Amino acid sequence: MFPLRSERFQGKFNNPGIQRGDHSVEKEEFTCVGHSVLKVDALDKVLGRAVYSEDMTFPNMLHGKVLRAGVPHAIIENIDISAAKAMKGVACVLTAKDIPGENLFGIAFQDQWALAEEKVRYIGEPVALVAAKNEEIARDAAKAIKVTYKELPVVTNPHEGLGENAPKVHEKGNLILHSKTRKGDVEEGFRQAHVIVENTYKTHVQDHAYIETESGVGKVDEHGNLVVWSANQCPFRDRRQMAVVLGLRENQIRVIRATTGGAFGGKDDVTVEIHIGLMVLATERPVRLVLDREESFLSQTKRHAIEMWTRWGATREGKLCAMEGKVYGDTGAYAGLGPFVVKKCGIHLSGPYYIPHVKVDSYSVYTNNIMASAMRGFGVLQSSVAHNAQMDELARRLNINPLQFRLMNALDRGLSTATGQEFQAGIGIKATLEKLKEVVMKDPSLQKYWKELR
Amino acid sequence: MKKRGLGVGCMFYGIGFGFSRQDISAATIEICEDGSVIVRSGEVDYGQGSDTIFCQMVGEELGIPYDSIQLITADTFTTPNAGPTTASRVTYVTGNAMVKAARAVKETMQSVAEDILGEGDLVFMDGEIRSEYPDKRISFRDLAKTCHARGVQIVETAWQDITTKDVDPETGQGDAYATYGWASQLAEVEVDTETGRVEVLRIIAAHDVGKAINPSNVEGQIEGGVLQGMGYALTEEIVQEGGYLKTGSLGDYMMPTSMDTPRIDSHIVEVADPDGPYGAKGVGEPALIPTAPAILNAICDALDIRVTELPANPENIKRLILEKGKEEEAS
Repeated sequence: MFPLRSERFQGKFNNPGIQRGDHSVEKEEFTCVGHSVLKVDALDKVLGRAVYSEDMTFPNMLHGKVLRAGVPHAIIENIDISAAKAMKGVACVLTAKDIPGENLFGIAFQDQWALAEEKVRYIGEPVALVAAKNEEIARDAAKAIKVTYKELPVVTNPHEGLGENAPKVHEKGNLILHSKTRKGDVEEGFRQAHVIVENTYKTHVQDHAYIETESGVGKVDEHGNLVVWSANQCPFRDRRQMAVVLGLRENQIRVIRATTGGAFGGKDDVTVEIHIGLMVLATERPVRLVLDREESFLSQTKRHAIEMWTRWGATREGKLCAMEGKVYGDTGAYAGLGPFVVKKCGIHLSGPYYIPHVKVDSYSVYTNNIMASAMRGFGVLQSSVAHNAQMDELARRLNINPLQFRLMNALDRGLSTATGQEFQAGIGIKATLEKLKEVVMKDPSLQKYWKELR
Repeated sequence: MKKRGLGVGCMFYGIGFGFSRQDISAATIEICEDGSVIVRSGEVDYGQGSDTIFCQMVGEELGIPYDSIQLITADTFTTPNAGPTTASRVTYVTGNAMVKAARAVKETMQSVAEDILGEGDLVFMDGEIRSEYPDKRISFRDLAKTCHARGVQIVETAWQDITTKDVDPETGQGDAYATYGWASQLAEVEVDTETGRVEVLRIIAAHDVGKAINPSNVEGQIEGGVLQGMGYALTEEIVQEGGYLKTGSLGDYMMPTSMDTPRIDSHIVEVADPDGPYGAKGVGEPALIPTAPAILNAICDALDIRVTELPANPENIKRLILEKGKEEEAS
């Protein structure tokens, strides 16, 4: 009927995924859904035709560079931009003083400065912006900015952070959020336990390390609106935060997702968008800002390091009867989505099992580390490190196969999660475990590990 | 010496935001005079494949080829807000918005088609609207033209809201999430006890996605997730000391490469979700979550050593092997 996307690209592309129906009236169950059709962006990507924001260029375009703190916790005593400003090819040097709107953002809690004002709280914190005619000049000019810091003691883990005499990352204190889960009566639950396993698990920090770093390009359009193309996860949320800092209405800001090379949660919050907006408004010229890999590592959000103490009990028959846990998340210098990550970790710490008695406390804490926020798994990865180890340790002590032990305790219709939520349908945990069991039973090379599995 | 082990990891994952956080999506579908279709939605595809499955859903509903659809996404001036691409929510939330919008347009077009063809069972497929009589049919193109000529509205916006009320602040009790993803994986590993290096031989993944809209996309998500989870378990580590970064480049930050990629067997399990589009729900994050715990349990199976501090890199594994040796000597 119409030329297909694939035909437009390379003449005819016979897509094996779509089954063309015959002319019977009876419609097959699905003709398109459920079929492994070619991804609509596949050819653009593999043929190198996809346009990322770094590929976009405009006449008169400037290149941005962010000066970052370089110290983890310090009072800013003075910023001298005179040398940088005097450099040939530099179009603007901006600090907090130049922000037209409110110098405040943050996806969950507004606790971040677009450019640091009195204090920096982690090494990657943005302090000043330079836009220049090429990247080299921008980089040199950023280096020529002289910032005088008075360094402060640092706090680098959540336990320290919660201590009474800990250095305060923010005035209001270092505890961001304490969340609780209380189901049943854990003491009663543990009284029923035949075996109890107690452990502390410490997870580390992971970077999203997407193939494309944070990047974007912006300009003023023919109607006087700000347009920013960037690698992002939510143009609408970026727009909302940009409007506040830039002093514009949301309907004056057009954010477009350029082709994006991965995000995994790392581009969930604003990355380059506010800074691009500030430089575009200050110069009235197009500006491109692309972080290099080292800057991305130094300044952008990460996966939370989480410490989880947890205690689990099971009956002689192999039924989970109680679990208790304490979760400490190192959210770093600003909240981002950190408090939700840590809360979600706590909610999922009991795993996909029915446990009648649950008590979990989780704490999201400010430190002077690089911000931890959303990353694929969102706290649930960390919780699963703990609950899967606990399940294996219990299974071993009960002399039950670990897969079988999970099947015995898996959630099912009418069995409640730690938050008391019940489902009547769409509960697939047993089906996935049964599938693995079936694979093992059919494969002697796997069966040799688990001879007891029946 | 090389020792092998098998381990299992499983997970559930609350899909969407929970915590009373706004969790909405929208899609607009417009049928042009020539019957070509424009779909607009603020949703972001950053590589995971949502644009493709949206085209499949709309193509399915309207009976037109999925790759004839013009999909415009993620532009705050031209598309309605669909919320972020996070929380494994896109298939579940925006997928529903797509299906709703397509069904709304289809309903209008169907009533015009009934007017032309007479009432009866009409089917939208292969770019045609067919009745039970072979001679009574109209092309999607001609039907669109007729709708336009008659001034019938064939542009529709659908809204989907899965915002869930936050759990109780004191007890944490409540319906935390609209739905959950479920997954289990097995890992077979081989540990070199001399070097402490862990090699992953095989991952067997079973993921309940409700309904796989595009099975090879689901497999792609699982395979990518497995590698990211393997990196997390074994080698990737951002090290900070006193607030300073010690692993500042890809030279210091060890990610798995194609050389480290194990055999990955993906099994798609379909337990239909009553509220998902065609029963579907997300797999983006579940893809990653069970891998690391399965590997850690496999290491424990091989060495009888429980790693409680991640990552299980050669330094840490070797240290634990030596500590265990000393303990055994002492006892």
